[in-house]
Amino acid sequence: MAPSHGSSHSEAAKMEQIVTEFFTKSLHIILESRSPYVSSRNFGGEQIMTSPSSSSSSSSSVRPRDKWFNLALRECPAALENHDLWRQSNLEPMVVDVVLVQRPLDWDPVSFSPKRDLVRNLSLDEGYPYCWNSDLDEFRCEPKREKIIERWVVQFESKKVKDNHSSGSRRPSSSTLHALYKKSILLLRSLYATVRLLPAYKIFRDLNSSGQIRPFGLAHRISSLVEPFSRQEEAEMQRFGFTPVETSSVRLCLSVLYRSSVMDISSESSTPISPQVIPDYVGSPLAEPLKRFPSLPVAGSGTHGSPSSLPFSGRHSWSYDYYRASPPVSFSPSPPHSESHASISNPSSRRLPPSSLPPHPPETLLAHKKNTSFDEYFPSPTFSPSPSPSPPIYIPGSHLSKGLLRSDSAPVNIPVGKLANSPALCNKQCLPPSPPIKNTRSSTFRTDNCVPSIQTSATVEQLFSLGKDETRKHFGRKISSNSSPSRSSSRSFHDDFDDSEFDCAFDVDDEDLTDLGSRPESFDQKGHLGEPLDPGGVFPTRKSQDAAVGALVHMLRKAPPLRTEFSTSVNLPHASEPEMKKNSLQERNPAVQHADSVSITSSGVVMLKTTADALEELQGYREMKNLLINQGRKS
Amino acid sequence: MNCEVCQLKELSVIMGAGILHTIVFHRALGLVRPKDIDLELFEITYVQCGDVELENKIDEKIEQFINWVEKHPNKKSQVCLSFYEVKNKQPSWFTNKIERLYWEQWYVNLNVAQHPKAHSSKSHHSKVVDPGEEERSARTAALEASLREVLFQIIKFVNEKKDHVPPIPNLEGVVSFPYEITIPSSSDSAFGMDMIKRMLQTGHPTMLS
Repeated sequence: MAPSHGSSHSEAAKMEQIVTEFFTKSLHIILESRSPYVSSRNFGGEQIMTSPSSSSSSSSSVRPRDKWFNLALRECPAALENHDLWRQSNLEPMVVDVVLVQRPLDWDPVSFSPKRDLVRNLSLDEGYPYCWNSDLDEFRCEPKREKIIERWVVQFESKKVKDNHSSGSRRPSSSTLHALYKKSILLLRSLYATVRLLPAYKIFRDLNSSGQIRPFGLAHRISSLVEPFSRQEEAEMQRFGFTPVETSSVRLCLSVLYRSSVMDISSESSTPISPQVIPDYVGSPLAEPLKRFPSLPVAGSGTHGSPSSLPFSGRHSWSYDYYRASPPVSFSPSPPHSESHASISNPSSRRLPPSSLPPHPPETLLAHKKNTSFDEYFPSPTFSPSPSPSPPIYIPGSHLSKGLLRSDSAPVNIPVGKLANSPALCNKQCLPPSPPIKNTRSSTFRTDNCVPSIQTSATVEQLFSLGKDETRKHFGRKISSNSSPSRSSSRSFHDDFDDSEFDCAFDVDDEDLTDLGSRPESFDQKGHLGEPLDPGGVFPTRKSQDAAVGALVHMLRKAPPLRTEFSTSVNLPHASEPEMKKNSLQERNPAVQHADSVSITSSGVVMLKTTADALEELQGYREMKNLLINQGRKS
Repeated sequence: MNCEVCQLKELSVIMGAGILHTIVFHRALGLVRPKDIDLELFEITYVQCGDVELENKIDEKIEQFINWVEKHPNKKSQVCLSFYEVKNKQPSWFTNKIERLYWEQWYVNLNVAQHPKAHSSKSHHSKVVDPGEEERSARTAALEASLREVLFQIIKFVNEKKDHVPPIPNLEGVVSFPYEITIPSSSDSAFGMDMIKRMLQTGHPTMLS
């Protein structure tokens, strides 16, 4: 083997390249006949194709990519844009979903670009490959219904099994490469022909051939995850499997699930979209979670007798659209919002393994709230729903110095300011470990939800009283709501990932967002907040309350377990959080913080405090808070 | 080398060209710029290689075939598309120096029973509701289904049988392998042609190995 090592290595590299190009080419073939932007296509076969690739047969016009598999394709921007993204690993399958989108008649074709979807999806690659970008679109255009009409799966496997015996054959020989390449050509030829025989092609033709705007369109999604279909969906799909290209060492598979009834759908679509078809798919993100929920351990919030649980239970009724429709900034703590939250969150909760659930979710919530408190001080603009990712703030003290206390950089000062406004104070050290906020929108929504619970101290207490488990549940739900924005993604996630961490990350983000929204409200309601917002105001209060502050600080210090946890675990994530969020949180009061601390500790594995302890502390904080507030009023 | 044979299901002669093009497309392993052909009559798109020479040849053969069928009505007939490799053979006194090694043959069974020409030529005078309209549309649907079926049959065959396809020759041109299209001719029957081919095929395996 040694002598041949060098050459075999290059052979392996060649094989890798063939495989990579195979992915690219097949994607190109699929999208070329599914992405309606190709307008140069000749119909009827009488005209010569006008697209650059087809315009001339001269060798000069042959692009390097055309030479691969000896198949020159028309330009397909969608494919070109995305193919690079799939080069990360050939071992990941490539799943291309072709989606029939039914849209309102006033649809603006320009605003609807499949590309955008793709880009979005891809951008989420890190953790959330399957995110469906529809957010913006949904915002603007109303009901858009989507249905997957085709799913192409391209897969590469390398056979490592039998290597022992035939180590020589394991490495691709040049003859193997030739065979692989030749068979790949053949497979791609038949893919090319097949793509045009499947029902979806008719839709593509319709879209291209007529100048008129159709009530439906085609979009596509690419991911590396197979998002399972529901049974019903699956029943409606037919499968066509291409014979895999196989050599002694590798295997290239290509298959498609397609809906044979696409034609009906498209023809139906000329009339108002038939709700029956779409609901399955559209609702899927929400609907699926609900379906599965029952099985989830955390599922039934309603079972808990605690008052706080009630609002959550109601959330199921919430409609997704509502969620989105609500203005980002609206802070009204109307119950419906909170309910909506819950509905969304449910799916997430199920994902989280029971064990993991408790620590993270609650933590995030509380943390967020805390952050909010910081935010309070900032001018209202900061709160604006726009989710511009604020630079991560690691040190609470620094935050304060920036926004609130210019003179006082010390963390201590910050708490003071907070204390003055809202009793919760302890936070400064425990800045919430909120993850960076990814979705602006979600944040707005969240805010509303959070508000109800947070606004009244009583509610907070209730939360607290619920116990860790319950809080977790709530959180979990909320978290799920975060994921909800991406329909497809949420699905795939649930199915594919059981990893709680994943979910948590998402959840956290969402939570943060919510917090943001809630803050402003909380301020308003409480009334004292209005003044606190003004930085100048803060200082004065502080002066008069020096003694109280000192006492408070002392108290805070006494509760080491909470702090430690927070400071370490929380702070980092915190940095990523937008500053805005912080403001609202503080208002929630100590109780919130306590909750956070509790949850955190639990996450930390060591449960230092019991619920009873926490309650006690809470009481203490509340007293402090009241004291401070009174003083502030007097002053 | 063995010769794979595919018998396609019978279908209307109006589809003959489309079928042949589809087959050749799958065997044209040179650099191809595929050309989509949307059938006028059916909602079916098939693919051509974009090779003018091939198009002409196919058109010509189909025309010959139709002429032949008209002279021999009520005869089932088929077009045979064969791919082969050329080997130089040891010259001997009764064979050519060049030998064709057939590695694949497609039998395309075509009929003209349904007189589809009337449809295909100008069937879109429709709009006017005539009594035969329904029947005609039903027949069209049936034709379309049969065409689709045969196209899938081709695709499946091509998918399943890959090993017998010879290495891609380093030839310029779209259609990488030599091919021939045979139709029944007045001089020799399809049967005779077939026999000859089979004789040639059977000879090859031993010679190659």
